[in-house]
Amino acid sequence: MTLVYVWWLHVTNATTVALTFLLVVLVTAATSKLRDAVVTSVAAMLCFNFFFLPPVGTWTIADPQNWVALFVFVAVSLVASRLSHVARARTDEAIVRRDELARLFDLSRDVLAMTASPDAVSHLARAIARRFDLEYVALALPGSDGWSIAAAGGRAVLLDEHQLTDVFDGAARSLEFDARARTYAGHRSVDADGRTVRLVPLRVGTRPVGLLAASGRPIEPGTLDTLAGVVAIAIERMQFLEERKTAELTRQSEELKTALLASLGHDLRTPLTAIRVAAGSLKASWLTGGERAEQSDVILSEVERLTRLFHNVLEMARIDAGAIAKEPRWTHPAEVVAAARDQVAHTLREHRVVVTTEPDVPVQLDARLTASALAHVLENAAQYAPRGTSIEVTTDLTEAGLVIRVRDHGPGLPAVDLPHVFDRFYRGAASRTRASGSGMGLWIARGLLAAEQGRIWAENCSDGGARFTISVPVSVANASEATAS
Amino acid sequence: MTVRPRLLLVDDEISIQRAVGPLLRSRGYDVEIAGTGGEALTLVADRAPDLIVLDLGLPDLEGTEVCRRIREHLKVPIIVLSARGAEADKVNALDVGADDYVTKPFGPEELLARIRVALRRVMSEDTAESGLLRAGDLTVDYDRRRVLRGHAEIRLTPKELDLLTLLVRNRDRVLTHRAILKAIWGANAVEQPEHLWTLVAQLRRKIEPDPSNPRYLFSEPWVGYRFATGEPENAG
Repeated sequence: MTLVYVWWLHVTNATTVALTFLLVVLVTAATSKLRDAVVTSVAAMLCFNFFFLPPVGTWTIADPQNWVALFVFVAVSLVASRLSHVARARTDEAIVRRDELARLFDLSRDVLAMTASPDAVSHLARAIARRFDLEYVALALPGSDGWSIAAAGGRAVLLDEHQLTDVFDGAARSLEFDARARTYAGHRSVDADGRTVRLVPLRVGTRPVGLLAASGRPIEPGTLDTLAGVVAIAIERMQFLEERKTAELTRQSEELKTALLASLGHDLRTPLTAIRVAAGSLKASWLTGGERAEQSDVILSEVERLTRLFHNVLEMARIDAGAIAKEPRWTHPAEVVAAARDQVAHTLREHRVVVTTEPDVPVQLDARLTASALAHVLENAAQYAPRGTSIEVTTDLTEAGLVIRVRDHGPGLPAVDLPHVFDRFYRGAASRTRASGSGMGLWIARGLLAAEQGRIWAENCSDGGARFTISVPVSVANASEATAS
Repeated sequence: MTVRPRLLLVDDEISIQRAVGPLLRSRGYDVEIAGTGGEALTLVADRAPDLIVLDLGLPDLEGTEVCRRIREHLKVPIIVLSARGAEADKVNALDVGADDYVTKPFGPEELLARIRVALRRVMSEDTAESGLLRAGDLTVDYDRRRVLRGHAEIRLTPKELDLLTLLVRNRDRVLTHRAILKAIWGANAVEQPEHLWTLVAQLRRKIEPDPSNPRYLFSEPWVGYRFATGEPENAG
């Protein structure tokens, strides 16, 4: 074609022709495949020889100088074709790489955002399928009882567990270097349900922790390897988070046991000593009537204290076991308060308790739980407020339900203690060695109230003293029901 | 010496005060009661009690701290009340100068026996320090460094004699392992109680009528040793 064009223009200068031909070859190489460029080069060489190099019109070349020119022309056009091809291949590869890197980056971000949850592995599989547009992705993790497989993607493929085991064992046994893919991965392709599935070991360091199965769009072995690395780290991280959670739970339970023992040790020892000494004295005959009464009183009040402690420990165990069920029934707020006072009458005898129950209409709630919780709050107030001060109890009906406020005229709650008053075994920072209080009461109160969807909170009053507020959702009877019940 | 010994009971638990106070009064002691460490220190200064019963768990001051401050200027016997299992607390209290301890929960006789022993020791120290001690059939002659059982002399190695002398000089008191090791082997030996076990076993073989059932040289488990002069322990 160019040949004819040149023929017409009667250009016979060999140099001009050679340069023009070279330009054509370069353009061909830049736009089409290597094969086309080579064919063009050869064709151009033949034309150059036949039409322009003397003797024109023959395949022979008379002047040896022209042999050199022809040879250089061929060499330059071939090298140019090759270079241009390589450059283009590099660009294409770079585009693919960039695309895969972007996908890997997105996946890494997904992985970092994942939290430890039972279905985290299937989330991970879904994330891979989505990010890499794969038809099928499965993460197979070896467990004590066979493989656990989390699959994702539009297609379901049934993997053969024996095959998985073979590949996994192979990966565990040897670390092979794939020279072409430049990886140590030990990739395998297997046929499952008529599709080719690629199995890639997930390695942390060199140790395999599972297998990644992928099918659909082909992925570079190197990328697949990096992908497997990211997934392996993600799985390791999830397992670590899971383990840490378990360890944390164990530690907390150990801490509680220690605290319980310390608290029991302290709370049992004193009453037992007092009872033992007082009983010993009672046995002796030298006591006067008054002294005898005094010693009996010591025994009775310490037995009361032990009973209360025993009751607390039981209630705590029931809350821990989740064995508290709500049994709502119709009652009056005043009754609840009276029942609570009754439970801790012994502790409250040194304080004046002022009760206001307005309006005292029938309400439906679990009277037992509420009264018990209130009793703990009253006991707490009696332990911290000085003897002889008054404790005010008011009840109120609001939209939230029955609200019971307990206000004391004690020292109030120090700011450091305020966030912890409902923690188990927490006893105010300043009252570490206080005589009374085991750090169980308020925790139990909260636990009991939680069983009936109630709440409790504490605050300091502006004019001194602490106020505890209990709020329990209730059904309020209308007038006719109230009279009926 | 007063006719009625004055006792100071330091415990913040009302119930203990109400139970132990009358018990002690009924046995002929004058009893003062303190609820805090500060109060105790004031009463010690004001009333000069003959003996102090001190609970280690006080609201304001550590029991051992109270003990140490009293010891700074007074030799009055101190019996500490402590929790079972809190051996470290006991040892600390004894190391800063307490004489004896009773583990909560205790019975009335146990406490009374310890009080009697401690008071008797003070009185015997007040009356005579003759250089000769008799306990049962045992006679320890400090000056001539001789020990007799009945009329027969017992031959003791110098270390054994040192230990016996130390224990006898502090008779009816609990000496902690640490204190004994330090007195006999020096400050570097306090972490090597095995020396002491061996020496005590040797000494028991020589002075005790029945070494496996000692009547003089008592072990206080995990705490120390005590040389008992008088009544065998009848509490329990």
